Amino acid sequence: MGDAQVTAAAGRARSDGGTSAVLEVAGLSKSFGSVRAVDALTFALAAGEFVGLLGPNGAGKTTTIKMLTGLMRPGAGTIRYYGRDFLRFPREAKREIGVVQQISNLDRDLTARENLTLHAILHGLGGAGRRDRIEEALRFAGLEAAGDRPVRTFSGGMGRRLVIVRALLHEPKILFLDEPTVGLDPQIRRDLWDLIIRINQSRKTAILLTTHYIEEAERLCSRVLILNDGRLAAEGSPAGLKRGLGRFVLEILREEGLEEVFFETREEAVARLGVCTTSCKVRESTLEDVFLKLTGRRMER
Amino acid sequence: MWNGVRGVLYRELKVYSKRAGKQLLASSISPLLFLVAFGWGFGRGVTMEGVPYLTFLIPGLIAMSSLNQSYGIAQELNISRFYFHVFDEFLIAPVTPLGIVLGETLYGMFRGLLSAVLILLIALPFGVPFAPTPVFFAALALHTFIFASLGVALAMLVQDHAGQAAITNFVITPMIFLGGTFFSLERLPSPLQLAVSLLPLSHSVRVLRDAFLGRATDPVHLPVLLLFAGGCFALALLAVKRVEA
Repeated sequence: MGDAQVTAAAGRARSDGGTSAVLEVAGLSKSFGSVRAVDALTFALAAGEFVGLLGPNGAGKTTTIKMLTGLMRPGAGTIRYYGRDFLRFPREAKREIGVVQQISNLDRDLTARENLTLHAILHGLGGAGRRDRIEEALRFAGLEAAGDRPVRTFSGGMGRRLVIVRALLHEPKILFLDEPTVGLDPQIRRDLWDLIIRINQSRKTAILLTTHYIEEAERLCSRVLILNDGRLAAEGSPAGLKRGLGRFVLEILREEGLEEVFFETREEAVARLGVCTTSCKVRESTLEDVFLKLTGRRMER
Repeated sequence: MWNGVRGVLYRELKVYSKRAGKQLLASSISPLLFLVAFGWGFGRGVTMEGVPYLTFLIPGLIAMSSLNQSYGIAQELNISRFYFHVFDEFLIAPVTPLGIVLGETLYGMFRGLLSAVLILLIALPFGVPFAPTPVFFAALALHTFIFASLGVALAMLVQDHAGQAAITNFVITPMIFLGGTFFSLERLPSPLQLAVSLLPLSHSVRVLRDAFLGRATDPVHLPVLLLFAGGCFALALLAVKRVEA
C-alpha cells in the first residue's frame, strides 16, 4: 500500500474521535533511584482516539505504558479507566485493554494458533466463538497459512502482526502499542501502519502508540504527546504543533552549523531562499523541528 | 480465578507435551544413577532402619526426584519472566494472582507426580516390594504441592537467574542431602537432627518412606506438611501480587 493511501486513512481517523475519556492519567510519576523516568504526566485518551506518545529513547515511554497496563506499579499519580481507579479495579480495566509490548512476549514454543488460544482462555473466551475469533485474527494478520507453525520460525514482521491481533482478540476498547515497528524493514513497517490504521478505523479502538519515529507519529496519530526526560513537553495535533512553529523551514548551511528559519508560507521561504549566499534548502517542517525547538536537542540521530 | 488456572495449565502442558520425551528421559537419569550407584553398588547387603538399603532408598529417591521436578518449575518461570517475557501475558490478562499461582502449582505437582511414577517403574524390576496406600499418595501430593509453590514463590522473588541458581545451590541441594533422602536421620547428632527437622523435606520423606514400607508413621508429620503447604502457597501468592504491580 502506498504512502498516499496511508495518509488518507490516517486523515479519516482524525475526524471520528469520540469525546468521552476512556483513560485519564493524572500526575503519573516513576523514579528509578534518583532518576525520574516519568514525571507528573497528565493526559486523557478519548474513545476511538489515536494518540502518539513521541519521544527519544529513554524519554519514559515504555515506563509509562508499563504503568498503564499493570506491569509496573506507579510511584505516584492516578490512572483511571472509564472513571475507575486502575489499581483498585485492575481486572475490570484489563478486560478493556489490549497490550503490545516493545519486546515480543509470544510463546516461541507454541504455534500461532496456540498463542491465540492461550490468550482466549486467559480472557475467558470459550466455546465455538473462540475458534471463529482465532481464525478471524489469523486472517486479519495475513497469517492463515502460518497458524500451525511454531512462533520461533516467524520473521520479525509476522511476529509483530501476531502480537497485535492477539492483543485484539478479546476486542479491547483501548490498545497500547509500544514501539510497534521498531527494528522492522521500511516496507514491513508500512504494512503494519496499514494494519494499525484499519484497527482504529474499523473497530473504533482507541490507540495509544509510543514511538521515536517522527514519521510514524505524523502519519498515524490525530494527537501527539511529546515526552522529554519523563515530562510532557508539548501536546497537540501534528499539524497544530507544526503550525505554531511555521509550516516551512529554510535550512541554511553555514560553516558553524545548520541554521533553521521558519516561515508560515512556502512563498516566504522561497523568497528568502532567493537571497541565500550559502547552500540553502526549503522543506516542510516536521515534529522533529518541534521537538528540537522545545528541547534544544534532536530526537532521531 | 479459573481462567487463570486453565490458561496457565494450557500453556505449561502444551509446552511440556512438546518436549515430554526429552523431559522424561532427563528426569530419570539422575535417580537411575543414584539407584545403581548407591542402591546396587554401595548398598548391596547394607540394611538401614531394618530394611535392605535399596528398599530404604526408593522412597527417598521418589522424594528427591519429585522435589526436583516440582521445584524445577522455578527455573522455567525464571526464563519466561526474564528472557522470553511470556509471564507478562499472564500479568496483562484479567486473571487473579491466585489463578496464576494455583495453575503453576498444579503444573509443578503434575511434573513431580510423573517423576514419582517413573521411579516406581524403574524400581520394580529391582524387586522392591511396594503396596500403594492412600497415605503414600496424600503425602506425595502434599510434598509436590509444597515444593511447586515454593518454586513459584522463589521464582517471583529473585531478581535474576543468578539469584535462582544461588537458592538451588545453598538451600535446595543441601536439603536434599540432609533431609533423610539417602540415610536415616537417626544417624545425625541430635542438634543437627533438630535443625534438619525444620525442613519440609525431612517430614515428607519420613511419611513417604513409612507409607512405602507399610509402617505406622508419627501423626505429627502430616499436619506439619499441611502447615508448610499453607505457608509456601501464601508466600507464592504474595510474591505474584508484588510482581503484578
